[in-house]
Amino acid sequence: MTGAAVRRVLHEVIGEILPTVDVDRIDGGRHLRDLGADSIERVEIIMAVCARLRVTEPLASFGDIRDIDHLVAFLSEVSTR
Amino acid sequence: MSIGVEALNAYCGVAAIPVPALFAGRGLDPERLDNLMMRTKSVALPFEDPVTHAVNAAKPIVDALDPADRDRIELLVTSTESGVDYSKSVASYVHQHLGLSRRCRVLEVKQACYAATGALQLACGYLAAGLSPGAKALVIATDVSLVDEKSQYTEPAMGTGAAAVLLGDRPHVLDVDLGAFGVHSYETPDSARPAPTFDIADADRSLFAYLDCLTNCFADYSARVEGADFATTFAGLAMHTPFAGLVRAAHRKLARENGIADTAADFAARVAPALEYPSRVGNLCSGSVYLALASLVDHLRPTEPVRVGLYSYGSGCAAEFYSGVVDASSVAAVGRMRIGEHLAARCELTFDEYRALLAENADCLVPVADREIDPHRYASVLDRVGLPRTLLARTGVRGYHRRYDWIGVGAA
Repeated sequence: MTGAAVRRVLHEVIGEILPTVDVDRIDGGRHLRDLGADSIERVEIIMAVCARLRVTEPLASFGDIRDIDHLVAFLSEVSTR
Repeated sequence: MSIGVEALNAYCGVAAIPVPALFAGRGLDPERLDNLMMRTKSVALPFEDPVTHAVNAAKPIVDALDPADRDRIELLVTSTESGVDYSKSVASYVHQHLGLSRRCRVLEVKQACYAATGALQLACGYLAAGLSPGAKALVIATDVSLVDEKSQYTEPAMGTGAAAVLLGDRPHVLDVDLGAFGVHSYETPDSARPAPTFDIADADRSLFAYLDCLTNCFADYSARVEGADFATTFAGLAMHTPFAGLVRAAHRKLARENGIADTAADFAARVAPALEYPSRVGNLCSGSVYLALASLVDHLRPTEPVRVGLYSYGSGCAAEFYSGVVDASSVAAVGRMRIGEHLAARCELTFDEYRALLAENADCLVPVADREIDPHRYASVLDRVGLPRTLLARTGVRGYHRRYDWIGVGAA
């Protein structure tokens, strides 16, 4: 899946789980915690994105994600495996 | 053969602070209370340590045994990530102050918040082997909290105390399903205590490991146990509870993976009863899952035998899902410990009182050669405890040897 498509799904999920965040203004250099997501919301965002992309990667694979751009790149890579 | 938990008790301190008061005092975002799902946090007093917690949890169990049964405790294991010495175990002090037989194996184990379950399973295997028929084992999970304002949202979630589990062939509390377990372990740097004064933690890595391990442990359990079905096999679930909100998320994940449509209703019926006590105490580390089991028994209150599932996770990491059967005798046995009444009787601290105690507690695990501690200095807290009880207190250290004595607390 392309990075743009993954980003679209990620923004959709962030909008649902963090409804007060303006997803059009999300900076790819920021971490989910910078958007105000607590640890449970961060887990829920990753699980929801994985479900929609049909990615079955262990959550532990996301332990070193630096920011949203890195998350999009990682999801793009694993969704095309 | 039946082997399992004959008696279960938890000691969760005599003081606590409401979590909203701690949030206000620290300037934390109150919107995060919903996902934390914690109501109060147990707070240790400066004369408490892993030894006093362990003894105060196990003493009511040991006192209820007749002398012949007490002398059949042939294995004492303390599990802790709050060791007080590199060589001498917490268990050696606990053995002394519980007055256990000298014909007893005594040791301490460590694997973060999983250690008590590992010890319990090894002890059950030993008892089931029948090498010493009628023998009992006492496993006590005991820990103190080292978090402060630097720990941010972890601070309100960390409790203090101990859970004591007596194992034997009269499993009134939990008849363990021998051989019915699933395990999952691998190395990960999610949290650790590199020194006796502070913890380090990577919240995301730890949550991810907890959740991955739950899925993998249950898969392993299902592979070993014919017909195991997450939706129908278990009347209740007791899980390691770093904070209750994580258990809700973990249940939601496993419920979705196992095709449960109404996860909220399932959570309310099978998991929420196990969170009543943990949400009023905080994380007890390896005792947490056994406080959850006590909570489940006290609030599910089964009248017929039902199967329950237990999930234990310890950073680092090691995890296990296993099961056992509880019934009306479980309700009677756990009820005799009056855990809920003791939680309600804790002295409610103000934020300023909490902050002062935290500063004094900070060096609880630091080895010192000599020190005097006067428990009666804390009379202003002890006199506000609602239920009178006798507790072991640390009175000092002499030549690196910790000293203890019994004190009375609470309004008479």
